[in-house]
Amino acid sequence: MTQDLSLGIDIGGTFTDLVAYEHDSARFHSHKVLTTPDDPSEGVIDGVERLFSDARLDYAAVKRVVHATTLFTNALIERRGAPTGLITTAGFRDTLELRREHKYELYDLFIELPRPLMQRRLRLEVDERMLADGTIETPLDEAGLLARARELVAAGVESVAIVFLHSYANPAHERLARAALAREFPALHVSISSDISAQIREYERTSTTVCNAYIKPLAERYLDRLSHKLEQIGIGAPLFMMLSNGGLTHVAEAKRVPIQLLESGPAAGALAAAFFGRRSGVQDMLALDMGGTTAKLAVVEHGEPLIAYRFEASREQRFMEGSGLPVNISTIELIEIGAGGGSIATVNALGLLKVGPRSAGANPGPACYRLGGSEPTVTDANLLLGHYDGERFAGGTMVLSTEDARASIDTLAPATGLDSGQLAWGIHSVVNESMAAAARVHIAERGHDARKFALLVTGGGGPVHGCEVARRLGIRRLICPPAAGVASALGLLVAPARIDRSQTLAKRLSELDWQALEAAYRALEDDAGRVVTATLSAAAKPAVQRLADMRFAGQGYEVVTVLPPGPYTPASAAPLRAAFESAYETVFGRRPPVAEIELINIRVALSAAAGGGELALGIAASGAAARPRTHRVARFATETRSAPVYDRNALPLGTRLSGPAIIEESSSTLLVPPRATARVDACGNIIVDLETS
Amino acid sequence: MATSERFDPVILEVLWTRLISIVDEAAAALVRTSFSTVVRESNDFACVLTDARGYSLVQATDSIPSFIGTVPRTIREFLAEYPADTLCPGDIIATNDIWLGTGHLPDVTVAKPIFLDTTLVGFAGSVAHAPDIGGRIRSADSREVFEEGLQIPPLKVVRGGVLDDTFLRILKKNVRVPDQVVGDLFAQFGALDLMERQVLALMHEHGLATLTELAQEIQGRSEQAMRAAIAAVPDGKYAQEVVTDGFDQPIRLKLELNVCGDEIAIDFTGTDPQVARAINVAMCYTYAYTAYGVKAALCPEVPNNEGALRPIRIVAPAGCILNSRPPAAGGARAVVGHFLPMMVLLALSRALPERVVAGVGSPLWCVNYAGTRADGKSLAGMFFMNGGYGASARRDGYSVLSWPSNISSTPVEMVEQLAPLKFVHRRLRTGTGGSGRHRGGNGQEILIESRAAGPLVVSFLAERTRPEAAAPGIAGGEAGAPGAVLINGAPVDPKRQHLVEPGDRIELRTPGGGGFGPAVERPAGAIADDTLDGYVARLA
Repeated sequence: MTQDLSLGIDIGGTFTDLVAYEHDSARFHSHKVLTTPDDPSEGVIDGVERLFSDARLDYAAVKRVVHATTLFTNALIERRGAPTGLITTAGFRDTLELRREHKYELYDLFIELPRPLMQRRLRLEVDERMLADGTIETPLDEAGLLARARELVAAGVESVAIVFLHSYANPAHERLARAALAREFPALHVSISSDISAQIREYERTSTTVCNAYIKPLAERYLDRLSHKLEQIGIGAPLFMMLSNGGLTHVAEAKRVPIQLLESGPAAGALAAAFFGRRSGVQDMLALDMGGTTAKLAVVEHGEPLIAYRFEASREQRFMEGSGLPVNISTIELIEIGAGGGSIATVNALGLLKVGPRSAGANPGPACYRLGGSEPTVTDANLLLGHYDGERFAGGTMVLSTEDARASIDTLAPATGLDSGQLAWGIHSVVNESMAAAARVHIAERGHDARKFALLVTGGGGPVHGCEVARRLGIRRLICPPAAGVASALGLLVAPARIDRSQTLAKRLSELDWQALEAAYRALEDDAGRVVTATLSAAAKPAVQRLADMRFAGQGYEVVTVLPPGPYTPASAAPLRAAFESAYETVFGRRPPVAEIELINIRVALSAAAGGGELALGIAASGAAARPRTHRVARFATETRSAPVYDRNALPLGTRLSGPAIIEESSSTLLVPPRATARVDACGNIIVDLETS
Repeated sequence: MATSERFDPVILEVLWTRLISIVDEAAAALVRTSFSTVVRESNDFACVLTDARGYSLVQATDSIPSFIGTVPRTIREFLAEYPADTLCPGDIIATNDIWLGTGHLPDVTVAKPIFLDTTLVGFAGSVAHAPDIGGRIRSADSREVFEEGLQIPPLKVVRGGVLDDTFLRILKKNVRVPDQVVGDLFAQFGALDLMERQVLALMHEHGLATLTELAQEIQGRSEQAMRAAIAAVPDGKYAQEVVTDGFDQPIRLKLELNVCGDEIAIDFTGTDPQVARAINVAMCYTYAYTAYGVKAALCPEVPNNEGALRPIRIVAPAGCILNSRPPAAGGARAVVGHFLPMMVLLALSRALPERVVAGVGSPLWCVNYAGTRADGKSLAGMFFMNGGYGASARRDGYSVLSWPSNISSTPVEMVEQLAPLKFVHRRLRTGTGGSGRHRGGNGQEILIESRAAGPLVVSFLAERTRPEAAAPGIAGGEAGAPGAVLINGAPVDPKRQHLVEPGDRIELRTPGGGGFGPAVERPAGAIADDTLDGYVARLA
C-alpha cells in the first residue's frame, strides 16, 4: 500500500530543493535542481517528476504540499514587479519619498537610499481626511478618486496602493475606495493599507502597502500557475505557503498579502534548525547556516526561533541595516553576514586581509572549481588546509584543484608577505572572526550572552567553520544535524499553520476602554482564525497568543510583549502592566521609573499544528564500528595534525570520537578540533563538546 | 605595505575586527540599558577603547560625528588630573565640562582604567547624552554656561568599585529626572565593564601584555591611509566663508584649508567672536565636525581612531565662536557646528569637486510646543525635520536628509496622536533644490493648524532662512532656496518664541540643497523627468 506523503518545495535564488516525506516509514527523499528564474514553476515540476520517479513515489499519495520561495524578495530587489501607483490623502503624496530622513551610514557622502518602487508622477492625491481618533474630517471624494485611478490606469498601472492618513484608526475611506475601484476597474489590483498593515507611522505603512501592491500581480499569476501545474501532473493535494513568520497559510491568503512571504525560505531553515536542536534536547541555540555567498544567523530561544515585527526588503547595501524598504511583517529574525564558501579574500588599503562580502558564488565559483574563477576564496583556503577531500567534494560530484587554489591564494603573497599556508589559515580565521563579530553584536542587541547557547550548524560551510566560530564566541557545544544540505526544506514539513494580525490602538493603559480592547482582540482573532481553519480544517483549534507593542509614555520605540490570555476586563490592567514590565526588563535590563504605559499596537498570533506535528525522522541505525575511511593532514587552530576521516553515514548511533577528526557527508564536512569530543546521539545529530579552557 | 613582526595582516585583521566588535557590543548594551531617547534613537553616544596613554584604538561604528576624537582627548585630560600612578582597578572618572568634553553639558564622558594584573594597559571610555542635566531646558537663550545646568569637573566618581555618594547626591539634586539620569550613568558604567572584560579576555587569548604595540599598528596603518588620501589632493590653500542666520545678526565663519603634502591644516581665523547665546562651539566640537568633513571626503572607509586624525591639524582663535572661552554657553552648539563639515567640503570642492557634495540644507530643524489641554493638564513636545541634501558628481541630491547628524523625523500620525495639531500637508518643497547638472535635493514644507483649546507657546530651531545663508552649489551649480517660518501666512523670526492661537497655522519651509555643475549641462531626459514628476515647479 502506498504511504501518505508530504512534499516540500523550497525555491532559492540558485537551487530549488524538493523533499518528500513518507509518513509511515518516516523516511524522506530529496532532490536539488537549478532554479528557473523566468518561470520557477518549470524547475519545480521537472524536479518533482525526477524525485518521484527516482524514489518510485506516487503523486496521488501526496496529502499536502508546502512551498517557500524567494521569488517575491527577488522581484523587489530586481524591481521586476508590476507597474504600481499610489493614491494618498491630499497633502501627503510625498510620504514615500520623504521617508524618515535618517541615514544608514554616517561617513558615506554618496550614500544610496532605496529607490521608491514608483516615480512621483504615479503618486497621486485625493481629498479625504481622518483625524487621529478616527473621526472623519473630510469625506472621501469618490469622483476625484476615480479620476486619479483613471490617470494611473492610462499610465499603464496594473496595481494600486491606497494609503490614507490614520486609516489604522478608521479604515472606512480606504474600504470605500477599494470598493469603488473594484466596481470601475475590475482588472486593477488594489492593496489598502488598513488591510495590509493597520499600524501607525505613515511612512512604514505606505512602504509596506506599496511593496505588497508591487508584487501582488506577480504572486497571483505565479501561484495560480504552480497550483495548476501540480494538478496537471496528478498532485491534487492542498498547496500551503510558508510565511516569513514560520507559519503556513493557504494560497488565497498568500495571494491577498504576498508581502508576508518575503522571508519564507530562510524561515524554513530556522524552523528546521530549531527542530533538529529540540530532537537533541537543546532549547537555546544559535543557528548558523553558511552557504556559498552568505551566512545566516538566527537565535532560537525556548525551542523557537525569535520573531521580529519589522523587515527590510531590497537593501541597497545587503549587509547594512536600514538600507532597505521598511516592511511591517512578522518574520523569523535572522541576520545575514557576507561570509560564505565563495567569499573572496583581498588585501585592503590598510594592508589587511579581508574576506567578503564579495563572493564568487557558484559561478564562476572558487578557483579550485576550475570554472573560471581565479580569485582566492574561503573554499580555496579550506581545501589547502586539508579540510576537504578534493577528490570527493560534494559527494564525489566534483574534483577540486589544489593547484588552482594555491595559485589563487598566492596572488595575495606580495601584498602580505605571507606564504600560501599562512594565507589559507588567515582566510579561514578572518572569515570565522567576521561571523563571530556579527553574532556577538546581534546577540548583545537582544540582551543575551553567547555563552549560554549551543551552535547549530547547517549549510555547506557551517560544519567546517562551526567549531572555530563557537570557540571565538565562548560557546562550548556544537550540533551538526544529518543531511544539513536539505535541512531547510525539511523545515517546511514541520511548520504549523500560523497567522499573525495587528492593529494600532495608541492608548494609555490608564485610559483604556477595556470592552473595546477585548472587542479589538476578538476581531483580530476571528479574522486570523478564519484563515487558520480555511488552511487546515474547520475542526482546527488554534492556540491563541495575544501580544501588544507597548512602551513607557514618552519613548519612541515599543517592546512587543506577550500578554496573558483574555478576556480582558478592568482587572487586567495589573497583569498587562506586569507583563510589559517583565518583557521590558528582559530586553533592556531594567525599567525606567515612569508610571504611564502606552499601548501602541495590538497583535495576535494563532497557530495550529499542521500535518501531524513533529516529523518522526527515521534514523538509519546502520554502520558497524566507527572506523576511519582514511587519514588526512589538516590544519586545526594552532596545530597541523593527521586526522582520521570518517564517512558520516557509516557512523553508528552512539559513536564517540575524540578530536582531531574529520567527518564527511555528501553536502558538508564537519571538523572536530583536537581535544574536543564528538558523539552521534540517538536522533542522528553529531554533538561536539569543545574543550573547556 | 610593511608588516610588523608581531602583527601580520591576518592577526591584525582578526584583532581589529574583534576590538571593533567589542566596542559595538558595548554600544548595543548601552543602547539597551539607557533611558535617554536621544541615545536610543539618534545614536547620541560613543564607546571607545584607548591605550594606556589615552590614544584611541577603536570607536563604536554607529556613533555620530560629534564624538570624533572627543573621548580620547577627555581621557588624556583625566590623566592630567589623575596621573596613571594614582589610578586603581575599579576606578571610574567622569566629567561633562564643555571644554574638556564635547561642547555641551548633557554629554557625560566616563572612563575606566583597564588593568592587566597590576599594569595599566588602556581605558574603556564612553560618552552619552543624559536625559537631563538641570538648567534651562533646550534653550538657545542662555547667556552663560552657568544657566545650562550642573557642571561636573573631571572627578573620580567611582573608587575601586565604590561609587562616591556625595557626587551621587549632588547630581540627583540638580536634575529633573534623577532616577533616569543615574540609571543612564550606570548604563555607561555597564558598557565600560563589558569593554574591560572583553579586552582582557582578548589579551589573554592572544598573549598580549600591553595594547601599546597593537595601538601603534592600528594607528600607524590608519595614519598612512589618511596621509595617502591627503597626498592625492593638490597642494594649496582653499578658503571658505559662510554666513549663518545667527541670532540677532548673521554670524560669519571663515576657514582656510591648507593642503601641504600629506597633511591638512585648517584655520578658522577671521571667524566672528563668541556671543551671549548658547550657540558657541567649544574647540572639541569644532575639531570633531571639521575632522568629520575631511574624513568623509577623503578617507571614509578607515575606522575612527587616533591615527586617522593625526595628519589633520585644526586651529581657531580663542574667543571666536568656534573656540569659545568660559563662561560661554554651548547648549545649542549644533546650529553653528553643523556648518563646519560643509565648509570643509565646499573648500575641497575647488580641488576635488567629484569627491564631495554641494551645500546641504542642514542643520536640523525642530518645533517645540507647550500649552494646556482641554482638561487643564499641561502638554509639551517637539518634533524634527530636515532640509534637502546636496547634489554631487554622481547624482541629484536627495530630498530631506539628516546630515551631518542623523536625526529621524517624527511621523505625522504620531505627532497628531500626541499633540492638538493637525497637519494640512507635509510634502516636498518642490523647486527648492539648487539647479545644476545634478540638482540639489528639495526641502519640505509642512503646514500645521493648531487644534488646541488655548494658546500654544511655540519655538523653533531653524537655520538658513536668510538669503545669504542658503546652501551653496558647487562646480557651477546653484544654491538651494533658503528656508522660512510663517505664521498665518506671514514670515516670522524663527529665533523668537511665538504665541499660537487655536486655528492659527504654522508653516515650516526647510531649505533646499545646492546643485552640482552648470544647469545648462543637465541632460534633456532628466529635465523632462523633472517636469513629469514635478520636482522643479515652485509651489511657494
